[in-house]
Amino acid sequence: MKLAQQLALAAIGVAALATVPWWGSAVLIQFGINALILATLAQSWNIIGGYTGYPSFGNSVFYGLGGYGTAIAMVQFHLPFAAGLALGAMLAVLFAFLLGLPVLRLRGHYFAIATLGLAEVMAAIVSNLEIAGRNVGLVLPLLKGDALFFELSLGLLALTTLVVAWISRSRFGFGLVAIRENEEAAAVMGINTTLYKVLAFALCSVFTALAGGIHTYWITYLDPDSAFDISLNVKMIIMAVFGGAGTVFGPVLGAFLLSAISEVLASRITSMASLFFGLVIVAAIVFMPRGFADLIRRFREVGWRYFQENVKAHRL
Amino acid sequence: MSAILEIRNLTKRFQGLVAINNVNLALEHNEILGLIGPNGSGKTTLVSLVSGTLQPSEGSLLFEGASIQHVPAFRRAHLGIGRTFQIMRPFPGLSVLDNVAVGALFGTSGGHHRLRDAQEEAHRCLQFVGLNNRAAQRADALGGPDRKRLELAKALAMRPRLLLLDEVMAGLNHVEIEEVVGIIKKVRERGISILVIEHVMKAIKHLSDRLVVLNHGEKIAEGKPDDVLNDPQVVTAYLGRKRI
Repeated sequence: MKLAQQLALAAIGVAALATVPWWGSAVLIQFGINALILATLAQSWNIIGGYTGYPSFGNSVFYGLGGYGTAIAMVQFHLPFAAGLALGAMLAVLFAFLLGLPVLRLRGHYFAIATLGLAEVMAAIVSNLEIAGRNVGLVLPLLKGDALFFELSLGLLALTTLVVAWISRSRFGFGLVAIRENEEAAAVMGINTTLYKVLAFALCSVFTALAGGIHTYWITYLDPDSAFDISLNVKMIIMAVFGGAGTVFGPVLGAFLLSAISEVLASRITSMASLFFGLVIVAAIVFMPRGFADLIRRFREVGWRYFQENVKAHRL
Repeated sequence: MSAILEIRNLTKRFQGLVAINNVNLALEHNEILGLIGPNGSGKTTLVSLVSGTLQPSEGSLLFEGASIQHVPAFRRAHLGIGRTFQIMRPFPGLSVLDNVAVGALFGTSGGHHRLRDAQEEAHRCLQFVGLNNRAAQRADALGGPDRKRLELAKALAMRPRLLLLDEVMAGLNHVEIEEVVGIIKKVRERGISILVIEHVMKAIKHLSDRLVVLNHGEKIAEGKPDDVLNDPQVVTAYLGRKRI
């Protein structure tokens, strides 16, 4: 399927999803908001992790900054929500530029480990800031309107996905993919690798921060530990990789599927849910390491042999 | 005729090891200069210094009269310096066409800005090296000889003014070497200056206008191919001293 057709299909999907608040139950809408936020986070991670090949564990910092920007603007300065989102996004972009420049010089595991520390550092800093409510956190004004938050999250996911679709067919995106595939060769072919990496990091930070802002206003509360939660970053990566990192729709698919699976497991077998969730992920990595998007693409040609081949490739 | 590339007193040290030792070299416009030397003599290091993946310890580099030793690699590509890698470095996950399109999208003076233009250019380059029928394949599905052609096509798509070829004939058979020699000659007809590193002596002798010989990072000979290859110092470097 061509990208244009896929986008048309996605537009129909978005239109259908947009009707959910009219007929869905409160539980479904709340599940939907969470799933849409997670999909946006996985899709944003896709820009730096999937396309550029830098497995960032620093995205939860962007998420937290988005949340804190929104909370500080609304609680301390009594500004409207939109201004809060803008402040959060600005903080995240600033952070992406300041830290991207040194941290993006590291590659592979070193980059992952360096970014892993960032969330802890930010949580510690924020715990000592009066304006951010120290380690008690901030309570935002209550807004009863799950429908609004649902539509906002859906809009943000659609926007993020459109940007990723543009990346996949643009000169900028080709530059990012070239960096992922071979950074030295990319530089020799005329790609300003430092600039491209930092731009990708900043772009991914914007959408992550916006998602953080929406989520924070929705649950009306945040503290340092929940804002800079590294396990959220792990979720983004698992969802993006499960769906297919470096593809336009993979991370969204991965986030929806895994959200649904974890929801079903949590309601059926509460105590063992995370164990089964872990099993699902291990099975996915063994049977479809290139993600769901690749499975869909190749299953038609190869059939069941697809799984067999992946298992064999693992043994080698 | 002025030189397109001038290397002056270039030295590169890796900690204690002197990989390039005070080398002077000039490449004229539209010339094919062959760079030969035994294994470990510093040929690839020299190419990396010119393309910008390595920084020199001392000395200067001039491209079309302007100093470039402080210019980052990507900007040297914009100026018109293209290279191939001896250890082939395709973008393995991309199709052959898109590999070449990256060269056309960036490359000299920033390259094409529209993806479609770049892919058309990439098609032309693939046709030029005879790899058009493989355009849709993934680059890591190519065999050795085709990867060499891909490297060449990627560098050509950059529309370089100076092309640095690092062992594009290694591992090819006679017929394939003939083809690549033909391609390189055609490239020169487009007005591109070429620096070739090669081990296949027969090919480089016919191809090059001049030869430069490196040994232990130093230039030991320079001149017409026939003269250079009969130079006793060069023979010693390659075969060792005759003991009677």
